[in-house]
Amino acid sequence: MKKLFLFLLAFGFMFGLAACGTRDDDVEKTKIALITDYGDIDDESFNQGTWEGILAYAEQHGMEIEYFRPAEVSDADYIDSIDLAVELGFGIIVTPGFLFQRAIYESQNTHPDVKFILLDAQPRDATGNFVVGPNTLSIFYDEHESGFLAGYAAVMEGFTNLGFMGGIAVPAVVRFGIGFIAGAYYAALQEEVELVFPNNRYDYLGTFNAGPGVETQAAGWFDDGTEVIFAAAGGAGLSVMSAATDKDAWMIGVDVDQSGLSERVMTSAMKALAASVQLALDSYYIDEDFAGGETWYLGAANDGVALPFETSRFETFTEAQYNEIFALLADGTIEVPATYAELVAFFEDLDILDLLLIEQDTVSPPPSG
Amino acid sequence: MIEAILQLLNPIAAYGVPVMIVLMLVALGGLFSERSGVVNIALEGIMVMGGFVGAMVIYYMTVTHDYPLQLAVVFGLISGAVAGMVFSLAHAFASVTMNSNQIISATALNLFAPAISVFTARTFYINPATRQATDKIIISASYRLNIPFLQHIPVLGRFLFTNAFLSTFIGLGVLVVVTIVFKKTRLGLRIQSCGENPHAADSLGINVYKVRYIGILLSGLLAGLGGATYLISFHNGFDGTVHGLGFLSLAILISGQWKPVRVFVFAVVFAFMYVIQSQYDSLALFRNLTLPRQIYQMMPYVMTLVILAIFSKESQAPKAIGEPYDASKR
Repeated sequence: MKKLFLFLLAFGFMFGLAACGTRDDDVEKTKIALITDYGDIDDESFNQGTWEGILAYAEQHGMEIEYFRPAEVSDADYIDSIDLAVELGFGIIVTPGFLFQRAIYESQNTHPDVKFILLDAQPRDATGNFVVGPNTLSIFYDEHESGFLAGYAAVMEGFTNLGFMGGIAVPAVVRFGIGFIAGAYYAALQEEVELVFPNNRYDYLGTFNAGPGVETQAAGWFDDGTEVIFAAAGGAGLSVMSAATDKDAWMIGVDVDQSGLSERVMTSAMKALAASVQLALDSYYIDEDFAGGETWYLGAANDGVALPFETSRFETFTEAQYNEIFALLADGTIEVPATYAELVAFFEDLDILDLLLIEQDTVSPPPSG
Repeated sequence: MIEAILQLLNPIAAYGVPVMIVLMLVALGGLFSERSGVVNIALEGIMVMGGFVGAMVIYYMTVTHDYPLQLAVVFGLISGAVAGMVFSLAHAFASVTMNSNQIISATALNLFAPAISVFTARTFYINPATRQATDKIIISASYRLNIPFLQHIPVLGRFLFTNAFLSTFIGLGVLVVVTIVFKKTRLGLRIQSCGENPHAADSLGINVYKVRYIGILLSGLLAGLGGATYLISFHNGFDGTVHGLGFLSLAILISGQWKPVRVFVFAVVFAFMYVIQSQYDSLALFRNLTLPRQIYQMMPYVMTLVILAIFSKESQAPKAIGEPYDASKR
């Protein structure tokens, strides 16, 4: 009994010490950490785009950088990784990923001296309220506008048989998909062509990783007549590229300019990951006024989304046409839908609701289990 | 209807055949080991090692240097097979020499393979874009080839000789050799005798330890070859996993009742299921059934359970399987 008591005492003491350790963090301003929520930093898209932005910034300004990959996809593991980064003295932590919303909420309170840049999400407390702490900057991108541009370009390029493969139905991926549908039909109406974009050509793969299942599925779509697949699926896009190579078909990349990965990448629906993170870092290092507590929404209006026209493999879609549609998005003439309800309204406004074959449950699957 | 069935040919030729070859090679590998009396659930891990070493060799030959693709494939397959064999030596040592529990030592291999391959890759490879260590060995080229003349044979040409992989022919060759080995050669009969009644075999002067070593090493060779084959069939390179195909091969081995030709038949069936799993909504035949996707996704596994249930009564598993051989108990 006595031993047990001593053991518990020692245990409590350790925890007490640990708690003290986190209250007053000894971090360095010039050390930048990136923590991934899902997958590695060489996913050729979301994580890598962010990392490359930080890498370029660090090389230019002589910062020390490192990345951390949590052991598992869970809030506890995310928080562990954040604590580890703080312990190692990283003063600014970039967390790309929607899945960080809970972990950052906890960490922005436990580490008030550390600055957090959270992409694709806002910190969220246990009851579902969003609280952007004074040491946190949230950045959202208008993925639906990026997807719109991709869909528009594909149809203007002369393709009428389309498909969409998302990784997992997280909000950013869903917005890419909704925008893609809207853009494609907008162009089809303008060009007076008929699209083939049925409900079973819109799918979430359930993974952001490449694998034979994805490649086989994409090849099946191509065999069945699909001409272009927009893959908003991180590394799984590589499998779609493989299938496109085998089938001489096209795919559209996501997040970053993926044209270098395969000859069959027609264009990429980009979001300004690197640029926005660099802007945020600038606010901290150059303006010395970290944009904490703020939430940035980056879209066409403020160069948050784009197609990389220089490296795109378009034959008929011209840069003038691209600039024209981009300007319409930027000045708000076209309001791109971001949710399924808005998509339906968008189609109603264009008076083509009967053409929309993709169903609500397909786009926003009801949460399972 | 006929059109719908013909539509099936394409994906089966493009993806079904390579998956079938991988499953069959690995299951035939398992056959050698299990027929000699040693359970080998390490097939998955051995495949990972084969794929990993194969990827390193192919990367070296095609990315670092500029050797012809198909030559790199040949060396990749050979090195994958050798790596699998070397790796399986650990299982052989533990389960034959040390008489340890065969399930445990094989499980250790399954856990060890992804860990060591990822660790090694991270030690050697730097992703130029991120400037960080990476565990992905990207060798994204298409290794498919068309065989001149033969590809114009009706049906068969489309199945085997158009957009084919070199490994497909190697795999079919292996099937023939394995069948002959088990039916006609002394080695085949010795392996079987050690799996059925090792004490009797020993009494007739057969070195059970040696035969079991040979069985496990051959299984490592074929599983490693299967791993490398898998790597070139889906050309995204190596990323530390073979997506459970090793375990599926084990199911095929058992469904096939440890007989080479039956293993081939079940490999065909499973490969077909594998293709349907991801292509059901592209094929008119299945799309029109409007079944939910989960049905297709669980089909191979449900089928495994059903087949095992049906055959379990007349299971022809080697009698001495799983028992460490102890000469003193004779």
